Amino acid sequence: MAGQSDPHISLFSAEEVEFMAEDELIEIVPNLRMDPLNFICGDFGPFLPQIATQVPFWLAVALKKRGKCAIRPPQWMSVENLTQVLERERESQGAFQVLPFHYVEISRLLFDHARDDIPDMYMVRSLIEDIRDVRIHKVETSLEKFSGTSAVKIPNLSAMEVNIIRPFVGRALQAFYKHDNPEKIPDVDRPSSAQTRVANNEPRRPLRR
Amino acid sequence: MANYYNIDDILAEEEFVPVVFHKAANGVVIDPSSETNSVEQGAKVELPLWLAQELYLRQAISISVPACFSQRTRLEIQADAACVDLKSRSPYFYEFGCKIAPLVGDKTIEILLLSAFKIRYKEILTKAYTAVFTTTSKFLTLLTKEETNLYEAAQASMAAFKKWRMGGPRLQRASVLGRKRKPLD
Amino acid sequence: MASSGGEWSAEQIDDYEALISTTDVELLKKAWRNEKASPEILPFEEALVKRAKEQIQLMEETVDDFEESGHDPLIVSLYQMDLDRVQFLLRSYLRVRLQKIEKFMFYIWKTDTYRNRLSIEEEKFTERCIRDMGKHLEETVLSKMPDNYQSVLKQSVISEEDDMVPEPQLDTFVVAKCERTTRPLYLDGSRQSAGFDSRDDHFQMVPGDLCILRYRPFQEELTSGNISLV
Repeated sequence: MAGQSDPHISLFSAEEVEFMAEDELIEIVPNLRMDPLNFICGDFGPFLPQIATQVPFWLAVALKKRGKCAIRPPQWMSVENLTQVLERERESQGAFQVLPFHYVEISRLLFDHARDDIPDMYMVRSLIEDIRDVRIHKVETSLEKFSGTSAVKIPNLSAMEVNIIRPFVGRALQAFYKHDNPEKIPDVDRPSSAQTRVANNEPRRPLRR
Repeated sequence: MANYYNIDDILAEEEFVPVVFHKAANGVVIDPSSETNSVEQGAKVELPLWLAQELYLRQAISISVPACFSQRTRLEIQADAACVDLKSRSPYFYEFGCKIAPLVGDKTIEILLLSAFKIRYKEILTKAYTAVFTTTSKFLTLLTKEETNLYEAAQASMAAFKKWRMGGPRLQRASVLGRKRKPLD
Repeated sequence: MASSGGEWSAEQIDDYEALISTTDVELLKKAWRNEKASPEILPFEEALVKRAKEQIQLMEETVDDFEESGHDPLIVSLYQMDLDRVQFLLRSYLRVRLQKIEKFMFYIWKTDTYRNRLSIEEEKFTERCIRDMGKHLEETVLSKMPDNYQSVLKQSVISEEDDMVPEPQLDTFVVAKCERTTRPLYLDGSRQSAGFDSRDDHFQMVPGDLCILRYRPFQEELTSGNISLV
């Protein structure tokens, strides 16, 4: 019953992270006419043929699947931009490039459901994979810098990247913290009240301490 | 006690430590092969940590540094921490170290634990993400319990991510969900 | 933070997020994230849950009406998707809390701070959990133990405190996003804080910052809404 959750369960599943990403807004160009939609999560539309409008990703994907719209890929998702990002990502050991918090999930959603809307899809996909790999490697090799700390800033790391490294990094930082501050985390309630006890006539001790 | 039911914490206290008795103790059998049921003053024996801890608090014994934190192990760790077989020294090397350090009054144990962990976690990570199982299986036998947990955590989360990336069934919905709710009464 | 180059600056992302984080769905999502990621049980979002339930019910009625009045099946299915998403959030939020209660029932019950964080229904649930668990342990084990060892909470009668009660581990590391500038914190530990680009003697987060934190020193920042967990 240690506090750190079971190593086999990551806190959020990849599907749950994707679920969160699906609320991000994206531009679509509908090919149907439809009244505004008044959802619990907000109002969207009206939808008019060839008139671009912003909707959450889940709605864009639902319409796209039924052939009711084209999705406009976000501006950052171009070969030029991603090539630059990858280059800078490789050059700088100290920082992460700025990308949307949900760039990993968003790109998968688009690759799965809107291939025909993304120019140079295969190139874009391989760039995004490379960027992600470089970034994850960067966090994990820098871990020992954080030895014994209680707080580490990870600017510009994305939601899915956080989720991948979380189970490992959380445990490792906890171990660092524990070994750097041995008195801080009493593993058992260590007899810190350090009075040595008198032998013999003492009542029987608790079974575990 | 927050982790009363933690099995690893219990097992870490089963590790043996070398002790010296300051007092003679009657009516105890520590060495089954001995002919008497007493321990003499000055006797050197090995006791599990949970027992040693209690006797130490009663000033009945003194505790020495266990073999797994010996000078030789330290040198080996300094030389090439990633290749040392910590599991055979103690599957609870880190937890045991944390518990024993205050009892033997040796602050260098914590330093040893930290420096060993700092080097080894990197190796664990690399193996968890890149290597195929056949080349890792030998490496895995060198790992302590917590290190194995780390390895598995890293591998499981990367595997879960890759599975997601490949696609497959979306959030699955139990067939009872999504139907209209009916009042319970 | 490197904000030069790239299409989105951190500030733009923040403004954008602040703008859309006004719906109850966004609030519920935040509550769900926090609850899932924090090692301890958080205050129950009573008003929010009530509002979400009302909106769900209203939407269920709307979808029913649509179906009966022969609306375009496409539109009905879109509304149903919106409904499913909110219901998922609400169910998952309530369920995570029940899991925490099951895990730490005794500790939550005897700690006022935690007990006050439960809803009325959760309080009833906790009480029944404790009763059932107590009864089960009593029948299977405790009644067969010597007199001094029959407590569910204590190892023996001489235990000074409840030494068999699991507690949430507040030294767990969590990942947090800054919503509002936090108070500067002087953290304990041999080194205060570290980052890829800064090292300081105190630690402060500004909106947009993403951090890995030891939970304990940041408890208040979370309950005050200055940070949220991801």
